Amino acid sequence: MGYCGQKRTASWRLAVLAVVFVTGLAVLAVALHRVQVVETSAFTRDQVRQSVRRVQVPGSRGRIFDRNGVCLAENRPSYCIAYYVEELRKRGKWQHTIDAVDADIDRLAGVLGVPRQISKQRVAAHVRQSLPMPLLAWRDVEQVTLARWAESKEAFPGVDIYVQPERSYPQGALAAHLLGYVGRDRPQPRPGEKVHFYLPEMRGMAGIERQVNAWLTGVSGEQLIRVDARGYKHTVWEGRPEVAGHDIRLTVDVAIQRALEKALGGRRAAGVVVDPRNGEILALASAPAYDLNSFVPAPSMGVWNRLNKDADMPLLNRALDGRYAPGSTFKPVTAMAALLSGGFNPEEPYVCDGGFVLGTMRLRCWNTYGHGTIALRKAIEQSCNSYFAHLGYVIGYDAIYAEAHKLGLGQPTGIDLPSEARGLLPIAGTKERAKDNRWRPGDTCQIAIGQGRLLTTPLQMAMLISVFANGGTLYRPHVVWREGPGEVVRSMGWPTGAVARVREGLHDVAAAGTGRRVRVRGLEVAAKTGTAEYDAGGVRRKNTWVTAFAPFGQPTVALAIVVENGESGGLTVAPMVRDVLVAIFGEPEPAPDEDTPVPAENAESRGD
Amino acid sequence: MLKRFTERFRNLNPLLLACMAGLTAIGVAFVYSSCSVREDPDLQMLYMRHAEIGLLGLALCLLAAWTDYRPVLRWSWLFYLVSLVLLVLVPLIGEETMGAKRWLFGIQPSEPAKLAVIMLLAWLFSRPEGLRGVWVFLLTLVLVGLPAVLILLQPDLGTAMVLAPTALAMLFAANVAPRLLWTFVLAGVLAAGTLLGVIYAAEKAPMPQERREALIQATHLRPHQVKRLQVFLFPDKDLHGSGYNRRQSEIAVGSGGRWGKGYLKGEQYMLGYLPPSVSSNDFIFAVLAEEAGFAGSLTVLLLFLGVLSSGLWVAFRCQNDMGRLFCVGVVSLIFSHMFINIAMTIGIMPITGLPLPFISYGRTFMLTMMVALGFVQSVSTHGREAEIGF
Repeated sequence: MGYCGQKRTASWRLAVLAVVFVTGLAVLAVALHRVQVVETSAFTRDQVRQSVRRVQVPGSRGRIFDRNGVCLAENRPSYCIAYYVEELRKRGKWQHTIDAVDADIDRLAGVLGVPRQISKQRVAAHVRQSLPMPLLAWRDVEQVTLARWAESKEAFPGVDIYVQPERSYPQGALAAHLLGYVGRDRPQPRPGEKVHFYLPEMRGMAGIERQVNAWLTGVSGEQLIRVDARGYKHTVWEGRPEVAGHDIRLTVDVAIQRALEKALGGRRAAGVVVDPRNGEILALASAPAYDLNSFVPAPSMGVWNRLNKDADMPLLNRALDGRYAPGSTFKPVTAMAALLSGGFNPEEPYVCDGGFVLGTMRLRCWNTYGHGTIALRKAIEQSCNSYFAHLGYVIGYDAIYAEAHKLGLGQPTGIDLPSEARGLLPIAGTKERAKDNRWRPGDTCQIAIGQGRLLTTPLQMAMLISVFANGGTLYRPHVVWREGPGEVVRSMGWPTGAVARVREGLHDVAAAGTGRRVRVRGLEVAAKTGTAEYDAGGVRRKNTWVTAFAPFGQPTVALAIVVENGESGGLTVAPMVRDVLVAIFGEPEPAPDEDTPVPAENAESRGD
Repeated sequence: MLKRFTERFRNLNPLLLACMAGLTAIGVAFVYSSCSVREDPDLQMLYMRHAEIGLLGLALCLLAAWTDYRPVLRWSWLFYLVSLVLLVLVPLIGEETMGAKRWLFGIQPSEPAKLAVIMLLAWLFSRPEGLRGVWVFLLTLVLVGLPAVLILLQPDLGTAMVLAPTALAMLFAANVAPRLLWTFVLAGVLAAGTLLGVIYAAEKAPMPQERREALIQATHLRPHQVKRLQVFLFPDKDLHGSGYNRRQSEIAVGSGGRWGKGYLKGEQYMLGYLPPSVSSNDFIFAVLAEEAGFAGSLTVLLLFLGVLSSGLWVAFRCQNDMGRLFCVGVVSLIFSHMFINIAMTIGIMPITGLPLPFISYGRTFMLTMMVALGFVQSVSTHGREAEIGF
């Protein structure tokens, strides 16, 4: 057999090789056991981490209703045209996919006949950062555009309708400041959860939308998306479902709110209507207002700038944040302070000769001829400055301060709405420190008639008159409905007799005094007018007020209205108050034999 | 006539044949898995190519088994020369893919070249006793070195390197210049150790950037080879770059767990984290291990154990040097491929582009391996004639 026959390759060498092979296989088996059995959970976790994305899905936002169930804010479906980039993906560089989507948007814009809403930069950012999410190319499209899309959708794979809830205010501009508006933000992630993507959530930015945002906002749910190595969506699991937010019921009455806003008209004005029995806000308005729906989905730059630059400052909520000298509407406080200080006799006559002189200072009464001999009840009715300045001088500032402070002036009322002004109730010492000027009796007289450095908000004045309406309880105002009695801030502890005397005066104001224009047939109203002068860049302007409550016997409504730059409280504001009261209580047709209630236009009615 | 025909197959090694067929069937199944996610319809049919070549390979295997290996091996110097010519032709007229020229008319000449080297060495070492000295050792170095350098130039480091353990195993089995052999092995181990040491030092030791680069330069490795070694030494260094494949294949194997995720349910290749360009060939084991788990991995290891042990059994039963050495060469080659491939998949060896025999998609390699096992079967059927003849 020649060379084939010799056998010098020893068999033990084959055995050595066998041992080497078996050792090699054993090494692999042990290594695989470590990776696949011992450490498998770590690798599984790594795999999940690199391929699963968590998407936060917000719950739908709760609606807002008035006290009678009329809807003030709800959600409407907003139809968007969305690109699902997966289906337009191109091989190779990302730029190819971006170009393809961008070109397709141009093509679709031509078919739909609408201009593009998103730039190529936006497309690129979407592809790079939130690939598995729908790319909203057109938001809130009109029906006709949807119809055009439906006709030609076969030609556009990867494009679909995406419905997004959008805030809607069925009452338009009604209660704009009260309701506030929403913006878009990412939902709050649960603690310890890493979220990769989110669908934006509506978030209240002002007013009640902001105040009770947490209640209106639901609990965001989550979707889990498995993505491939390039980030494209592969599979979707429904994770935790989202929970819808709660609806909310307000104390506001749409009918009263509408009447109040109609009464205010377009002037710079504000009004608050409150239930004096419990502090429920029935209406709260600031004028001029703006259409809430122009703020959806978010105020555009144009709208925002226009509102911001408007000299009338429509974005300011004057009812809460406007600060005005109360003028004569403060006089009931002075009267009450006097009645509570010992030794004051409300029947003691005082002679008004058209002014009040204290040293070198002379405070003019609005009636330059003077009111003649006058006592408390008549002084309230006629709103006599001389009388109340004198009264202030007699009882001193401390007594006035104590009563005004107890009535909540100079402090926030604690209403459940954001950004409320405190107003200003001067402490006797502050003037001294601030201006290096002593507190003089003249300052006290100014405050006594609601002038000087005293500043109040319409809400504070509405709450103040409510205390006179209900006989001595200061409630915390609120706009969110709740069952049960109102929250008492303070019981004044006023003697019944004392408060009755002030109420008599207020009754007379509406019946025969400066506030006669508030009169409504068949309704007993109590009111107080006010006209506060202020210096607007060298020009004397007047903020005009009326505070009122009705019916006089068992008041169910108290209100305060202020109009900037008015004529006088009695002329400018009283008819507005009357309109509101008519809307609330109605007014019977005049009996044929009754006199026309329209008061004569005379000097008296001009005053406050 | 028919009796003479079947007579020849009487001594076929059934375990070897069964394990080979089993591995090939597993290969078809998991090539199907990995190519099913491809978008290109041609690439989706990759598993059919694999099955076709498996059947063709089986036919060639039986043909080789039927043929007497001795006259074939006597002509092995001719195969060797043809292989060399083809390897020389590759850089001249070969087809280039992904920066490497490996193909010539649709085949990879480097694969049959491995078989030619084994055949040539088996023939050479089975020459009379006087031809087993130092000179034969040096001649072996030249004979192995020539194709290795040509393959290295393609460049295909893995295929070139896998010749080394194969040749060493054959030198060991044939007892050629034992002292020189051990010196050589020792030198090789030292060289590999030094290389890794240099790369480790260049990364970790405090030194200026230029010195680092100079050190890397001194290894004379290509940049991607340096990167692979760095990935091996520092697995977490560049997970999104050069370390990506290693990391993803390890995740695939590890997340498979004990029993796997189920057939066609592997996520790593389906989601593309394991790049589709490698999932059906070099990293097919990752696909298998993810879908079939540790159980599947062990099955594959056992089938390879069957191939290796029955190959060695054939060698043991063979009564002549040539047949024994040929079998040793073939099983060593298969073992080297398998060990390096699986080890790199789970990160215990640096990444080298070596296919897993019978399972990875790769037609030339598949045919070569099956023909090689065919000749091992031929050793099984014809090698025992010597014992009958005496």
